[in-house]
Amino acid sequence: MGKVPPALRATPFLLSTLLRNPSPALPDHQQPETPTPLSKPHHFPKKIPKKKSPKSLTTAIENPIPSPSITFNSPNLSDAKSLFNSIITSTTIPFDLKFPNSILQSFASISSSIDDSISLLRHMIKTCPPFCPDRSTYHVLLSQSCKSPNPTLSSVRKTLNLMVTDGFHPDKVTTDIAVRTLCNADRIDDAVELVKEFCLKHSPPDTYTYNLLIKHLCRTRTLSTVNNFITEMRESFEIKPDLVSYTILIDNVCNRKNLREATRLLELLTEDGFKPDRYVYNTIMKGYCMLSQGSEVLWVYKKMKEDGVEPDMVTYNTLIFGLSKSGRVKEARKFLGVMAETGHFPDEVTYTSLMNGMCREGNAFGAVQLLEEMEAKGCTPNSCTYNTLLHGLCKAKLLEKAIELYGVMKEGDMKLETGSYGTFLRLLCRHGRIAEAYEVFDYAVESKSLKDVAAYSTLESTLKWLKKTKEQGLAI
Amino acid sequence: MLPQRMKKGITDNPKKLANLIDLVNLPSTLREFVGQSQISRLGCFMRVWSYIKANNLQDPNNKNVVNCDEKLRSILLGKPQVELAELPTLIKLHFPKAAK
Repeated sequence: MGKVPPALRATPFLLSTLLRNPSPALPDHQQPETPTPLSKPHHFPKKIPKKKSPKSLTTAIENPIPSPSITFNSPNLSDAKSLFNSIITSTTIPFDLKFPNSILQSFASISSSIDDSISLLRHMIKTCPPFCPDRSTYHVLLSQSCKSPNPTLSSVRKTLNLMVTDGFHPDKVTTDIAVRTLCNADRIDDAVELVKEFCLKHSPPDTYTYNLLIKHLCRTRTLSTVNNFITEMRESFEIKPDLVSYTILIDNVCNRKNLREATRLLELLTEDGFKPDRYVYNTIMKGYCMLSQGSEVLWVYKKMKEDGVEPDMVTYNTLIFGLSKSGRVKEARKFLGVMAETGHFPDEVTYTSLMNGMCREGNAFGAVQLLEEMEAKGCTPNSCTYNTLLHGLCKAKLLEKAIELYGVMKEGDMKLETGSYGTFLRLLCRHGRIAEAYEVFDYAVESKSLKDVAAYSTLESTLKWLKKTKEQGLAI
Repeated sequence: MLPQRMKKGITDNPKKLANLIDLVNLPSTLREFVGQSQISRLGCFMRVWSYIKANNLQDPNNKNVVNCDEKLRSILLGKPQVELAELPTLIKLHFPKAAK
């Protein structure tokens, strides 16, 4: 879905780190093992940019070019020009196209105005004839103009016009960079406006860009805004949502617990000629889980089977979670066997969901037994498992078991969750183990499970509650 | 698993949060104990509790009870013994609600 991997998301650009070798006097033939950068044409891959952040497009220099180490410290244009001049005159090495681009990128990252960057580009073309700007040069400028706090799109349009007059017609990559940068700068409305402009004048967005925009719209705008956008794109520019778009939309409405809309989208999707895949079904199933509607969860599973969609690990985990949550632990347990038959082995998530269901029924002993069974099968419980169990044991008022479990958690440096911490404190206080409650409070603070404030206020209110109950002579 | 109301902690309530973490000018008795002129209620509790732990003031026979030393007595109403359970309440006495 064109998601930017975290490793690429932040590519801080520092010219000084790229130009590691600060010895301009070294002639080229003394370094035979260093491949000349010129031998590698700076091509612009068509599809890969979807996976990269716009920033990293032009900054990847694998071979450090021997050159004086520089960084732009001031956003001042004339400083930048003279710095560029000094680099050009002082280096004797063959010229690489990537190099001016990265200088421009470096300046653009601190420059306050797009005009300054454009002038620098003009200056670079004039003073250094072998340099001939390519598409990525303009993309550097474009991403700067999209980042600028200027509330209008004027600087973006200016850059695009510049690009067209210089003979580079904006393509899909251009659209993607503009939209992505605008979305990351929280300028969704501008992004929508720009996409429409792109459709009319330049290059319509591809599915990745389109889906990215939909995702951002879903996150921050109302359902009707998203739907209007989709309708407009479909009617004016014949750009239709694909299966991924529908999955994003369904996920969005499911998170808002609007299952009716999800069902409508499912119909729309079929009308558009798509067949729901397991991601769509998993998402809908998750929606029903949120509402604790066990029978609907089961219905989705059956529908998947009917449609010949093979359930995966996520499906089974969601199914078991949903059934457990809606109090149908017995049925959920049966699916452990079904899972194993289809080659999916229950993991800690599966077991934790089941334990959760058992604890809800008050069957904390059963949950502890399940923990043993799980460990016997070689599945390691995680901190969520332990928290679920601790919560369940406390709810079932099994003090000794809970203390024992807490000991295990403490040994494993596991964090306490708010819920299990609170119930555990209450149980301890109820049994008059105030000092132990204080010790748990200390652990929660030390292990940074909770913020100090939250941990303390829980302790305080628990003690207050205890006093009140005692005063009223109620059984504790 | 957790009920909805459990998740809503104190951090969502700005007034209660402020009551707990805002710095307050201390009365002279407390100032001597804490060693600074301003502290929050949470900070004060943490100070007192770590003082108790550091000086082993918990009764060895009943950990729920604190045997106050001279210094502690001066800030906890002069009581020779306090229950751990009432510690937050006792400390709260030094932090009266701001008069409106």
